[in-house]
Amino acid sequence: MKSIEWGFLIVSYLFLGGLSAGAFFASALATFLQHNGNRQLERIGRWGALLAPWPVSIGSTLLIFDLGNWYRFYKLFLHFRIVSPMSIGSWLLVLFTIVSLLYLWSWLDADDKRGLFAKIPRRLSVLQRYDYDLSPWRHHLAAIGFPLSICVGIYTGVLLGAVQSRPFWNTNLVAQLFLFSALSSGCAAIILALSLSKDTLSAEEFRFLYTMDIGLLVLEFFVVMPYVIHGELSVEAVKLSLGLILGGPFTIVFWVFVVGLGLLVPLTMEVWEMLPAVSGRGAIHYTKRMALSAAGLVLIGGFLLRYIFVFAGQRSSFP
Amino acid sequence: MAKASKRHALVIDSRKCLNCKACVVACRAENNVPLEFSRNWLNVELRGEYPRLLAICEPEQCHHCADPACVRVCPTGASFQRADGIVAINATECVGCRYCMIACPYNARFFRQDIGVVEKCDMCRKRVDRGEVPACVETCPSKVRVFGDINNPDSQVSQLLSRRQYRVKKPEAGTSPQIYYLL
Repeated sequence: MKSIEWGFLIVSYLFLGGLSAGAFFASALATFLQHNGNRQLERIGRWGALLAPWPVSIGSTLLIFDLGNWYRFYKLFLHFRIVSPMSIGSWLLVLFTIVSLLYLWSWLDADDKRGLFAKIPRRLSVLQRYDYDLSPWRHHLAAIGFPLSICVGIYTGVLLGAVQSRPFWNTNLVAQLFLFSALSSGCAAIILALSLSKDTLSAEEFRFLYTMDIGLLVLEFFVVMPYVIHGELSVEAVKLSLGLILGGPFTIVFWVFVVGLGLLVPLTMEVWEMLPAVSGRGAIHYTKRMALSAAGLVLIGGFLLRYIFVFAGQRSSFP
Repeated sequence: MAKASKRHALVIDSRKCLNCKACVVACRAENNVPLEFSRNWLNVELRGEYPRLLAICEPEQCHHCADPACVRVCPTGASFQRADGIVAINATECVGCRYCMIACPYNARFFRQDIGVVEKCDMCRKRVDRGEVPACVETCPSKVRVFGDINNPDSQVSQLLSRRQYRVKKPEAGTSPQIYYLL
């Protein structure tokens, strides 16, 4: 009676949750690095804050509609079970979404808020009194949300990895893989947003975002490799399950689209763009087209990574 | 640690199984299981070529593991384990996330799309509470199945397990399954 229970709603949620976590992570990091009135990374902080709450909110809605009884979702919040990754995760999602919304509010300036409040119909004018200025709290909110964003990023991997009956998932490396992929996709989303905006990236913004994304992609690669190699050297059930990406139905998607186009190609592109900044000779090779392609590939690769893990994992089992 | 007073388990002597499927029918009738699903099933393996043939029939259902993965991962506590070892689902608490189905190494659970909850064998817990044996055990014409308390050394299951060799399925999944297959 083996069936695929978790489908594309779950794949999308895992991707969107990670995207939010990564956007918040990058934004908070940029905020921490700004002090003494230094405002070089402000656009990164702002874009990350503006992006962060939405993917996770959409993802959580998808999760609720994936339930057999979606109207019973409140029961998830009548219990807290420390041994169930899903129970921990649902609480984390709520906390993270609230903090990321407050954080977004703290980044809105007076003009933005005036625009928003002007749209509220007069009958609901009571809402006007919620025009709090949270900007003095920006650093505090970033500090609270920073560990939460890491937890949300890693939890999606723990959700899968903590299931002992699916050998494809049941390794501690899945948590790391999902975390690095989540943070890198958030970074890519900010690169995408900044490259699409009117002004081009400044040298400081470029250095921050590219250093971070290159670092994360390298880490991700060095999780994928041990995952495959250790799996091949592991017990029969794990070896059999890895057959799904080594000759099995997910081989091409994994090696060509996730590891190749989603990881190594954008990594090479970003390293090439960054190289002059590292060697100190010549101008950086940043072009909008290049940045958009690399960031787009990272995002597609991140989505396909979730697709493979959700579907292949459910097909793996003890023989 | 003091031994729990009762621990229900199932001992299965597959060599007696005729593949008549009376257990599946009895379970369906007892528990109102829809036709497209089954709480218990038979694994049939055919070996060789005529005239050298061998058919191995092996009934299976929820293993009522001592350390059930489904109970651990359930976010609401809908999947639970009774003090006597029976693993069951509280349907009113189930949100239908299907995490338990993914966590079960035996694929013993199924999802009822119509009512949005997960179901599985609960060892006929209502019958057990009345002092009866599960429907599959009662109906089996060749007495493949023996149900009882393995903590009671005088029970038939304890007697069988003390005299015969047995195996459990997929012990490597680490859930301590409680269906014992006699060899």
